[in-house]
Amino acid sequence: MLILDLGLNALVTGVVLGSIYALVALGLAITFGLLHIPNVAHPAMVIGGSYAVAISNSYGMDPLVAGVLWAIPFYALGVILYEFYSRSFESRGRGNTLQSLTLFFGISLIIEVGLVVAFGTDLRSIRAGYIGHSLTVGFIVMPYRFLIPAALAPVVIFLLWLYMTRTNTGLAIRAVAYEERALQICGLDPAAIKRHAFGIAMAMAALAGAALVITGPIDPFAGRAHIGRVFAVVVLAGMGTIPGTLVAAILIGVAESFVMTFLSPSWAPGVAFAILLATLGLRPNGLFGALR
Amino acid sequence: MNVLLSVRAVEKSFGAVRALGPVDVDIRPRERLGLIGPNGSGKTTLINCITGLFPPDAGVIVFKGIDITHEPAYRRARRGLSRSFQIPRPFVGMTVLENLLVPMDYLGKGGGSEEIARADEVLASVGLIARRNDPSEALSQLELRKLELARALVAEPEVLVADEAMAGLSEGEIDDILSLLFRLNESGVAVVMIEHIMHAVMRFSERIICLETGKIIAAGTPSEVADNPLVQKVYFGEQNHR
Repeated sequence: MLILDLGLNALVTGVVLGSIYALVALGLAITFGLLHIPNVAHPAMVIGGSYAVAISNSYGMDPLVAGVLWAIPFYALGVILYEFYSRSFESRGRGNTLQSLTLFFGISLIIEVGLVVAFGTDLRSIRAGYIGHSLTVGFIVMPYRFLIPAALAPVVIFLLWLYMTRTNTGLAIRAVAYEERALQICGLDPAAIKRHAFGIAMAMAALAGAALVITGPIDPFAGRAHIGRVFAVVVLAGMGTIPGTLVAAILIGVAESFVMTFLSPSWAPGVAFAILLATLGLRPNGLFGALR
Repeated sequence: MNVLLSVRAVEKSFGAVRALGPVDVDIRPRERLGLIGPNGSGKTTLINCITGLFPPDAGVIVFKGIDITHEPAYRRARRGLSRSFQIPRPFVGMTVLENLLVPMDYLGKGGGSEEIARADEVLASVGLIARRNDPSEALSQLELRKLELARALVAEPEVLVADEAMAGLSEGEIDDILSLLFRLNESGVAVVMIEHIMHAVMRFSERIICLETGKIIAAGTPSEVADNPLVQKVYFGEQNHR
């Protein structure tokens, strides 16, 4: 019985963790999965979002509302950042190269150092009415600080999926990485589409930042724990598949949770990569990736 | 002479290799122009310069009286200069209908049901309406060529460049694409056909230009070009030896 209880608890915890991972990975599913831009700075951008939300929260604003509001300036930042990346790399035929990877490592470090200079290295947390309370169903106890961000993930992913499949701009974002020339001949400016898509990815970082800071205190380097995992989620899902991101993140979350419960927490960080390697061996395009 | 598109002294080199020019080409409204020449003669380079995929090194391109030499490809497409690709480039992971909807916002072709009606109209005109909800990956080679043309037509172009739209097709399929291009031309679109299938170019074109090593070696009616000794030497002669 104890094993069953532990197993069920691990499953629920894994689904909740996975949903939060999905939110953190969502922006990368756009930049890396659809635009093929190796944005290793995405987790640092998410932490930047967490700090922005924490500032608003210190003035009494609900963290989720703050996340939605911060998504707007983050979108603008994304547009500016893509423009810089495009002029420095893509327009010179050096997109998706080691140099561009270095650029995003640099941006990641700049964000971390900027946060240290502005806020110090102490952990920063937020306040909200639901933090500190839990939902108890039978023997499963789940804190709202995990449940609420986890519930946000499917909503955001559904809305993003609607945008990507039901609007012409969403369709163009899906097409731009593979058929840039064909898009131009159709009268579309690929650079404008990519700018917009990068802006959306940064807006997602603000929302994910809100979710992450609700789950617990953060420090300027908290994004580092997510770098490998978010790339694993995107590749496991299949490059650029938005609903697949949720499924892949939950798979990784559940696997990590079972390993933590039944083996050892220290093994958990390797789980994402073990699943990734196994999947790529069997399905090189990921779980939901189209053959191209 | 009423000229829709004017190419003057256009040149293009790749490193030390001169791929094109200088060449002068005029395209008239509603014209059917054939562009021929052996592999590497500069046909695709010329249309890449015309449609904006390559910036020319020198020369001027004027479309409807506007100098478009330095305009990006997407602006030229919005002005009414469209093309299909030698190798079909469908937007994979999307249906046939979605392939046509992608450019609608940017072309200002209305929204919602209006744009779907317009896309359906184009699909019907190329004979793909029965495949509208199928994924583009499921299309046959002929259907992919038609999708390429349909996507170019959504923009309601005044000039359509069909780059080897019949390569690899059977005789029946070639007839199918030819009749489609004839219908487009009758609706008012000037069509530039780049093709290696000589009987199709001869049948379709009112005027033919033959390129060799990046330069125009002959221009005129199909029979004039076919009788030109230079053309026979570099092109037909080459074929007759096979």
